[in-house]
Amino acid sequence: MIPGNKDTRDGILFSLPFLVIFALFMVYPLLFGLYISFFKWNILSTPQFCGMQNYIGLFHDQKFYTSLWHTVEFVLITTPVLLVMGFAMALAVTGKSPLRDLMETVFFLPYIFSMTVVATLWAWLMQKDFGIFNQVIVSLGGSRVSWLTNDKWAIWSVCIATFWWTAGFNMVLFTAGIKQIPKEVYESAQIDGANYWQCLNHITIPLVSHTTILCLILQVIASFNVFGQVYVMTGGGPAGSTRVLVQYIYENGFQYFKMGYSAAMSYILFIIVLLVSVLQYVLLGRKKEE
Amino acid sequence: MESNDVFRTKKKISWVLLRILEVFLILCWIFPLIWLVITSLKLEGEVVTKNFTFWPQHPTFANYTKAFTSTYILNWMWNSLVVSTVTMLLTVAVDAPIAYAFAKINFKGKNVLFWAVMAGMMVPFQVLIVPLYLQFNSYGMVNTLTAALLPRVAMPIGIFILKQFFEDIPSALEEAAFIDGANRFTIFHRIILPLGKASIMTVVILSFINAWNDFLWPLIVINDTVKYTITVGIANFQGTQGTQYSLIMAGAAIASLPQIVFFLIFRKQIIEGIAMSGIKG
Repeated sequence: MIPGNKDTRDGILFSLPFLVIFALFMVYPLLFGLYISFFKWNILSTPQFCGMQNYIGLFHDQKFYTSLWHTVEFVLITTPVLLVMGFAMALAVTGKSPLRDLMETVFFLPYIFSMTVVATLWAWLMQKDFGIFNQVIVSLGGSRVSWLTNDKWAIWSVCIATFWWTAGFNMVLFTAGIKQIPKEVYESAQIDGANYWQCLNHITIPLVSHTTILCLILQVIASFNVFGQVYVMTGGGPAGSTRVLVQYIYENGFQYFKMGYSAAMSYILFIIVLLVSVLQYVLLGRKKEE
Repeated sequence: MESNDVFRTKKKISWVLLRILEVFLILCWIFPLIWLVITSLKLEGEVVTKNFTFWPQHPTFANYTKAFTSTYILNWMWNSLVVSTVTMLLTVAVDAPIAYAFAKINFKGKNVLFWAVMAGMMVPFQVLIVPLYLQFNSYGMVNTLTAALLPRVAMPIGIFILKQFFEDIPSALEEAAFIDGANRFTIFHRIILPLGKASIMTVVILSFINAWNDFLWPLIVINDTVKYTITVGIANFQGTQGTQYSLIMAGAAIASLPQIVFFLIFRKQIIEGIAMSGIKG
């Protein structure tokens, strides 16, 4: 850009501090993890090379399949709901309501709380005997719901807490997307006699599709990595009915000390997330170009 | 004329109904937080009872006093404060220079490097937990706050945000400074950092909040109850205190105070920061 300066030297000097940390705590563990996934290792003993044994073992591990399924279930439930909720909130917040600022603040608020606070709070709201949800249900003449202790409901209960916690994040992304649509587009549509729903269907939804794709990809990645809510709210129970993959990775690594096995499992999860992201990107990207 | 009036009344009614719906939704959304506070002000006997009352009959701060005196909550808060502050400072210190290099310096291998760093955003953290643990174990650093915070500094999201901003700073300013004999470091220090203040603030806030909310990694790398960060401490509250809901809620309220203060002060920057990582992505 400017003749006679030391671009290469400067570029490297400015990049170096981050690159050192990046190499040490991202690149190295990523490769090291792959390496130990080919070993049997319980920290105390010396690692023993076992080839593909850990990966083969995974395919015979019933708990691995059920944990993977619970994760997929969580992804399938939360992704569409959170996208729709975020979009609906964004519509409310970008509308003409005098309450829009208040709504933006209130809908976003749960997101700033740490996941453990959210999870303990919802575990209390959903507590079977004394939680407010059941107190209200009972006072209305219903019978108590086993929100967190019934193997059919538990995953839904965790999802509900997650909706409350993170919908505001998607709202912010959608709000930014909607605000980028030029006002003139709406004005000319209104002159042509378009009503609210027509504007929504033919202007807002198509023009935020870029944001929708981004939200979708971020949401799927986030949902695949679910752990904390489940760990705090149900501990994976009842009887393993909500155990998710990250929890099983955690248990194998830090409760049974099967380091190699745990590493192998985390690589499988990595590959799944990567494939799903690439697939979404390719499919949705192509659809957009058409 | 009359049909016009009817139309207007209809419009007014639907306006009122919509506002009522909105107020209802706002109340629903905020209710769990209100319930957290209410529970924390009750005595446990009022909480665990079939004679349900909404408001506390004898409002009390006993649970807060108890949380401070009979748990390690102050230690946990302090640990989280240390971890979050250091993470934030380190993140900005290493992210800003490389973001500047990516935005403004044409050096060999820049594109390859940029994509390698961005690829780091795709790596889910749990892939790293086992190798990172073994790594810190071999350094003898398990159970230290340093181990709890370093891996987060390696996450490249801040670079991404800063680069977008630094790119918008006019190159003419830099060129003029070059002609006056300034070197890169002076330019970075005197031009880029002051002009990029808003984006740096965004990264500061987001990295602080993310570090404060970190859970999985501190849970793994820290074993001593005294050394827990607040998120891990709150998650284990149930275990150590039996299950005293009023006390747990008081703990949750104390733990959330810094975030609430942060949010009230920086509401705009926090929301804009998230929106920005979305738009330009």
